[in-house]
Amino acid sequence: MVEKCYIPSSLEEALKIRRETGARPLAGGSDLMVQYKQGIGITPAFPFPVMIISKLEELRGIRQKDDGSVEIMALATPDEISQCPFMPWHVKNAASRMGAIALRNTATIGGNIGNASPKGDLPQPLILLDAEIVLRNCDEERIMPLDEFILGSKKTALRDDEIIYKIIIPPVSYSYAYYRKIGTRKANAISKLSLSSLITIEEGVITDFRAASGAAGPKVIRSRESENILKGKRIDEVQDVLPSFLDSWNDAISPHAMPQYRRNTTRRMLEHFILTAAGMPENQIIE
Amino acid sequence: MIEFKLNGKLVRFEGNPLTRLIDVIREDLDLTGTKEGCGEGECGACSVLRNGKLVTSCIIPVGAVAGDEIITIEGLRDTPQGQCIIDAFAEGGAVQCGFCIPGMVMAAQALLLVNSDPDEDEVRAAISGNICRCTGYDLIVDSILLAAKKGKGLW
Repeated sequence: MVEKCYIPSSLEEALKIRRETGARPLAGGSDLMVQYKQGIGITPAFPFPVMIISKLEELRGIRQKDDGSVEIMALATPDEISQCPFMPWHVKNAASRMGAIALRNTATIGGNIGNASPKGDLPQPLILLDAEIVLRNCDEERIMPLDEFILGSKKTALRDDEIIYKIIIPPVSYSYAYYRKIGTRKANAISKLSLSSLITIEEGVITDFRAASGAAGPKVIRSRESENILKGKRIDEVQDVLPSFLDSWNDAISPHAMPQYRRNTTRRMLEHFILTAAGMPENQIIE
Repeated sequence: MIEFKLNGKLVRFEGNPLTRLIDVIREDLDLTGTKEGCGEGECGACSVLRNGKLVTSCIIPVGAVAGDEIITIEGLRDTPQGQCIIDAFAEGGAVQCGFCIPGMVMAAQALLLVNSDPDEDEVRAAISGNICRCTGYDLIVDSILLAAKKGKGLW
């Protein structure tokens, strides 16, 4: 059965269609068109009604607010995100390594989040930076941490009458930053494993530490409990607490395929970043 | 009805808006220069330009290009820039079986539009989403560099 396809011309109309029919938004198409493809010369068959929202101006653009936070509208592409001069480094880096050029001109941040693949590239750095997601229905806006919005593999807290409106990244500062995507190739690689992290050191004390593991469980893993093991420690204590931190992070992730490889590699990346940061001058990107 | 520009001409499409752009190009408009390889946006054979940017036409529904300007290999061929790239591909021996070439030419054009004097690394990055299963990448890269050199001032 061929389900209906709508092309709303405004956000208001899109939200009305969403409420009345439950039609699923199609933004770039790079996930949905592949998931429901039928073959050469055949139109993809969707088992649900769809609305093409690619042209909704209200969902375009990237802005920096006065408080330093960055708002990325749902239809921003990885290409736009990677070229944005005020985009936080971790997110910029992840966006610039997604797929290949044509994909980066087609996919959207809203789609990458809404698809909720455990291997999705953008949720990982966004969750590291405590990003929030803004959802809309006909009547109201709802805002929640992105970490809570993504529930698991392919599962989100999006309600049947809502669409993803924008992402807000709060202002961020750090002394050291780390991002690594491990894939088979430079281009068109699906992440085997990814990790981003940041450390702030003030007067020899770790005042902020965060990490986010991608493709290491059903969703992006952040463990505040593990992060707290390092927070408040002096640099000269890092060696002593590092093993318990690494064990704790190892307990937090839950890779289902090749778990030993993913666990060992995650451990080595974190160890490398933390030890290098502890012995370096400030404000560095560590690779 | 969906309206967009293709190679400078207005196209009106009245079918299912979820029809893949490549099927409209090849089946409805009979422009068979654009090839289909993987059908998943991974191989670049179906590359076209949308508003000057490289996209893979196999994963884009035609309903998503309303109001856009699409250029296929047929549209590019008839321009001085396109002719320059095509001549350079011939001179440089870039073409083996030829299946990936329309996509490679579109990727070269997308690069040269924003960077008229690329180095080898930039050329390799620009075609990183285009797969040549004859594996003739080196000659393709050389030919794109040749096009940039010979076509100075065109971009």
